Amino acid sequence: MSLLAVSNLTKRYRRGGKTIAAVDDVSFHVDPGETLALAGPSGSGKSTIARLVLRLIEPDDGRIEFESDDFLALRRAALRARRARLQMVFQDPLAAFNPRATVARVLDDPLRIHGIASRAERPRRIAALLERVGLTADLAPRAIHEISGGQRQRVAIARAIATKPSLIVLDEAVSALDVSVRGEILELLLDLQRQEKIAYLFISHDLGVIRSIAHRVILLDAGRVAENGDARTVIDAPQSAIGKALVAAAPRLNRAGP
Amino acid sequence: MSALRRFLRTPEAVAGAILLAVLIAMALSASLLFPGDPQAIAGPALLPPFQDWSLPLGTDRLGRDVLAELFHGARTSLAVGLAAAAAALVVGAVVGTLAGFAGGLVDEVLMRITDAFQTVPSFLLALAFVSVVGPSLGVVAIALGTWTGPARVARAEVLSIRERDYVAGARVIGMHPLAIAFREVLPNALPPVLAMSSVIVAAAILTEAALSFLGLGDPNRVTWGGMISEGRAVLRTAPFLSIVPGIALVLTVLGVYLAGEGIVETTAVRRGLS
Ligand SMILES: Nc1ncnc2c1ncn2[C@@H]1O[C@H](COP(=O)(O)OP(=O)(O)OP(=O)(O)O)[C@@H](O)[C@H]1O
Ligand SMILES: [Mg+2]
Repeated sequence: MSLLAVSNLTKRYRRGGKTIAAVDDVSFHVDPGETLALAGPSGSGKSTIARLVLRLIEPDDGRIEFESDDFLALRRAALRARRARLQMVFQDPLAAFNPRATVARVLDDPLRIHGIASRAERPRRIAALLERVGLTADLAPRAIHEISGGQRQRVAIARAIATKPSLIVLDEAVSALDVSVRGEILELLLDLQRQEKIAYLFISHDLGVIRSIAHRVILLDAGRVAENGDARTVIDAPQSAIGKALVAAAPRLNRAGP
Repeated sequence: MSALRRFLRTPEAVAGAILLAVLIAMALSASLLFPGDPQAIAGPALLPPFQDWSLPLGTDRLGRDVLAELFHGARTSLAVGLAAAAAALVVGAVVGTLAGFAGGLVDEVLMRITDAFQTVPSFLLALAFVSVVGPSLGVVAIALGTWTGPARVARAEVLSIRERDYVAGARVIGMHPLAIAFREVLPNALPPVLAMSSVIVAAAILTEAALSFLGLGDPNRVTWGGMISEGRAVLRTAPFLSIVPGIALVLTVLGVYLAGEGIVETTAVRRGLS
């Protein structure tokens, strides 16, 4: 039974006089504890799919089944409660937080909203979350804009795992980080997946990263699925035109790999 | 350079701050320096200023101490002006945030209401309200015509903020839409709204004076507008009775405006630099 099953998902935008389909009849599924990568050129609809899956925008057509429920049928309080299980990490960790927030407040919010810990218990939970993502508890009182980009993305991951989700959507979550930090964050994501059995919908334009952490990959082109399959198989020998173009354009793709 | 230093380097701002400080000192010391009823008779009627040093600014038609009235009037001006401006800013910020954040029908309805209030001149609105409800709710009457500006500014700011990632982030963690609007979005939309406060306070003080001038102010309080209105009857023989509160009013409005602009200016520069 898959954790997330998306079928015939379609989202159209009106631009000028024309209607364009940003996402066009896309179907895929994510199994528990699995990483599914979405790749494709800029404007191919990756972020739109992420926003649809998270119910930040509503589709024009299609079905989303999450944890065996019709996710699109959830409304208001029921939807907000279910959001605990489906989290997101954004590309720009500075833009993803209220500029006035502190680290503690950012982590306090999900714990409070979903009643995960009592007020008295929360500071300990926050410290534990920070330690889980490789930070120290003394970071808690700091303002979000006072910590480094890498630390911020760790805080974003801590917030995402605070509610014990079964699926995290990561939209270019490591793209803004420099190479050494990127490696550490990917390590952390792999470790979390091993320990907590979290599934990832991992959006990236970096085929090297996808090859190293994803189980399966879907290549998108102009809102449609161009190719999908085992991550290494697809990246090592793409069949579609867009797959070949993406691989050809990828710098120092380590095809030898383990 | 700190914002305070920059503020102190702007002569207009300093002049405004001094005027405002004097006004506040007058308002606060009114009942200490002039205890008792400022509307009680203190001496002979129509005593000109600088004649009797126990009544430095003389007396009005009924023999009331003009200086005492001036001090107590400062209190009314400041209290009513600040309260009305605060009410206008709060209502405007809340309406603007709801409209901008909710969008759709809610936005449409709230903005049509805002339009309706904005098309009626604010003084007329205040006048109509006071004539119907009575002068005791002067603060509400004044706020009624001034909340639309802050509402529009807040809405415009909220429209841009609500597209930011962190608002999406707040939805993803399951935060209630009202909590997102008022805890996450509104505080970040406030700076440009607060930047309007000096103009709004100044306008509120003027409106209060105008209402009092027309005899629609609170009858139990001394007001500068009321003093000017009373002085009008003897404008030819005792012009100072209108001129003194008139000057006080002009200086107050000027002080509020200059100090407010100074604060906005210096903080805006700081934001621009960082
Ligand atoms: N709110 C919107 N209004 C109109 N068009 C939109 C909107 N959001 C996305 N689009 C369009 O939908 C298409 C897909 O956009 P999307 O952001 O999903 O691409 P992407 O694959 O994430 O690209 P990138 O790699 O650059 O992030 C683009 O053509 C984009 O211009
Ligand atoms: Mg994108």
